[in-house]
Amino acid sequence: MHSKTVKDYALDGTIYLLLTVMGLITLLPFANVLSKSISEEWAIVSGKVGIFPVGFQLDTLAFVVTNSQFLRSLWISVLVTAVGTLASLLVTALTAYPLSKRELPGMGFLIVLFIFTMMFSGGIIPNYLLIRELGLINHLGSLILPALVSVFNLLVIKSYFESLPASLEESAKIEGARNLTILFRIILPLSGPVLATIGLFYAVYYWNDYFNPMLYINSTSLKPLQLYLQDIVMNADTSSAIDKSADDLMNVPAEGVRSATVIASTIPILLVYPFLQKYFIKGVLIGSVKG
Amino acid sequence: MNKPFKLISVFAIAALMATTAAACSGNDGKGGNTGSAGETNAGGEEAAKPELKRLNVWASEDYNTYPVAGLLEEATGYKVKYDMLPQDKWAEKLNLIMSSGEPYDMVTSYSDMALYSDYAQKGALVDLTPLIDEFGPNIKAAIKQESIDALKVNGKLYAIPTTVTYEINSSILIRTDWLDKVGLPMPTTTDELTAVLKAFKEKDPGGNGERNVPLTIKGDQSMIDNLVGAFGMPNNWNDVDGKLVPRVMDPSYKDYVAYAADLYKQGLIDREFVANKDATAKEKFASGAAGAIVVHWADIPGISEALTKNLPDATFAYVPALKGPGGEFGFAANAGFDRLTYIPKSAEHPEDAIKWINASLEPDTFRNMAIGTEGTHFKMENGGYVPILPIFNDERNLANNFMAGTDEELYPQYWQARVRKSPVMFEAFDFLNNEQPDEAKKANALGLAPYMQQYAKNNQQLETMVGDYTVKLIAGAESIDGLADFQAKYMAAGAEASSGEINDWYATIQK
Repeated sequence: MHSKTVKDYALDGTIYLLLTVMGLITLLPFANVLSKSISEEWAIVSGKVGIFPVGFQLDTLAFVVTNSQFLRSLWISVLVTAVGTLASLLVTALTAYPLSKRELPGMGFLIVLFIFTMMFSGGIIPNYLLIRELGLINHLGSLILPALVSVFNLLVIKSYFESLPASLEESAKIEGARNLTILFRIILPLSGPVLATIGLFYAVYYWNDYFNPMLYINSTSLKPLQLYLQDIVMNADTSSAIDKSADDLMNVPAEGVRSATVIASTIPILLVYPFLQKYFIKGVLIGSVKG
Repeated sequence: MNKPFKLISVFAIAALMATTAAACSGNDGKGGNTGSAGETNAGGEEAAKPELKRLNVWASEDYNTYPVAGLLEEATGYKVKYDMLPQDKWAEKLNLIMSSGEPYDMVTSYSDMALYSDYAQKGALVDLTPLIDEFGPNIKAAIKQESIDALKVNGKLYAIPTTVTYEINSSILIRTDWLDKVGLPMPTTTDELTAVLKAFKEKDPGGNGERNVPLTIKGDQSMIDNLVGAFGMPNNWNDVDGKLVPRVMDPSYKDYVAYAADLYKQGLIDREFVANKDATAKEKFASGAAGAIVVHWADIPGISEALTKNLPDATFAYVPALKGPGGEFGFAANAGFDRLTYIPKSAEHPEDAIKWINASLEPDTFRNMAIGTEGTHFKMENGGYVPILPIFNDERNLANNFMAGTDEELYPQYWQARVRKSPVMFEAFDFLNNEQPDEAKKANALGLAPYMQQYAKNNQQLETMVGDYTVKLIAGAESIDGLADFQAKYMAAGAEASSGEINDWYATIQK
């Protein structure tokens, strides 16, 4: 290794500068929405708001976050994400554990069954009919149960379990531990990184899930945040004005309100990222190197 | 290697079939159960009114907790559980719900005749005539016969309409202070409009320099309201010698396009209009860069607030119906329906649904639902209903969403209270809808037309086709010489069939 020359520094500097600029450019749309959410409405309508707010005010944000429907949707989203993530992790781990044992009879067949669902599904209408016959229309179960096990995540956890030394289990067995004890007291505590990663995958899925609630939830009080957001933001799209009456046009939420809603519903999941990021990076590497 | 895989596939398929069979049998069992449950319900109906389920269009607040819901529960004696369709792609969701047989007792959607008649023809809706005869005296009194006729599918009525409440949507909104500055009066003919826009361009009364735009429109607005009327084709289909003709086949189409293209060529229509979105055009007007814009009157409060903040001295008004070179003038006037309410076959309480609608149309209840109580929600001024704010906004803003049918005589008057929420908006609305002479309101002949299969199927696509073509003509990307070719393409793309269907019907009402 030779020591850095002026030329190297200049090159590095340029690269850093370029990357920083590129990084900032990706933030521009976000900055625009953020400044719209804290600008005066008249400035937004006149097209004066770019990256920086014009006529700073926080009333719009306050209006949005105190809206009872926003709060209820937020609660639904938090509930579905929390319960869904825990339930998914539990069920996925419970399924992955036996599948990680090579002595399991009929293992190849079972794996094929799982993989089969990865490639083929019944389609929207049969799924809808299934959910309806299960009595889950307008029920939060319809948001959690269909997504309980993601086969991809299952395989990641399975391969992690396989990488744990078998001698750990053998010694536990000698001490008299049964299968469930081994799973909960030995295997799972050793699987922190993979569980955190898969947990984040699930959490982001549940938080962002828009399609299932759109299909299965009709009741206003059970709408998660993404659906609420969709309704608010699409409402202003006047290209669909043909089937709208003047009453709807008169009640279109202001651009500022829409921006504030977008901001308010993005912040919660943004807050989760920094805490899980270190696991995230570690966890994604799992399976890439067999060792 | 091949053999085990085959074996596995056989197992997989067997497993699938087993689960499907199980699902089907479960289905049957449940279907039987609900049937018997329905019967027992019917027996006990006299004693207690059942809870009704209603599906409605999207609203910004929860129907179930909105004050009007409580009012209606008290007045009708029925508890109603409201669900709503999404804002976006509501028709898809509605199709899903209708085809899966959700037991809604009432479904209210935007007035989409194609969708409605599709449901009716597939037997998904309950025939309302016998129910209305038996339980709906108020419904009969409130809905006009012509509305009922327009909604009949194969001679039967399947829906109760809420009609549109006003006629004219939009015109050209012009800066009157700019008019004063250039010393010209409000234009009354297309030639005068050209002169005014020219003066806006040359004298730049707003002091905008490069940014100056005489008239801004949005990219999909190639048929400029008011101007199309001046060339005798205010609606999508207009009467030409006793036949309904779509705009692009209209003999005046050439003249209109020539006029608009000339405005564009002279720089009097926004140079960037092709790329303008709705918000872009409004920005230009609200910031003071544009002297005129084509907008719906409901958009005025937002624009007005911004414009006044930017330029406190700015004033504006709608341009009245302009006379064209042939002496024609007028606005497209709405006719027809805003929403439709129907009862799906899967409803558990169709009779109660009709009773509920009937009770909601009882005159006092309907009035209370529409505008509240006098002194609390509204007051009378000069014979008009004036809302008391903010309580009117809080408790009656979404009232129209609760209506399943309106009193077709009284509601348009009650309804104007909503427009009076904003004085500038009311002024503009009043000018277009109340002050313009009746001759300037050219009713859309197709508004009350019955369902026509070809027209319903093709209309949207054909309108887009013509819209795109007209934009190109105005912006000079296509030459008018190619009109005959385009017309041939247009007729072949479904307009021929639509036209035949429409004029067969039109001939019957001409007599």
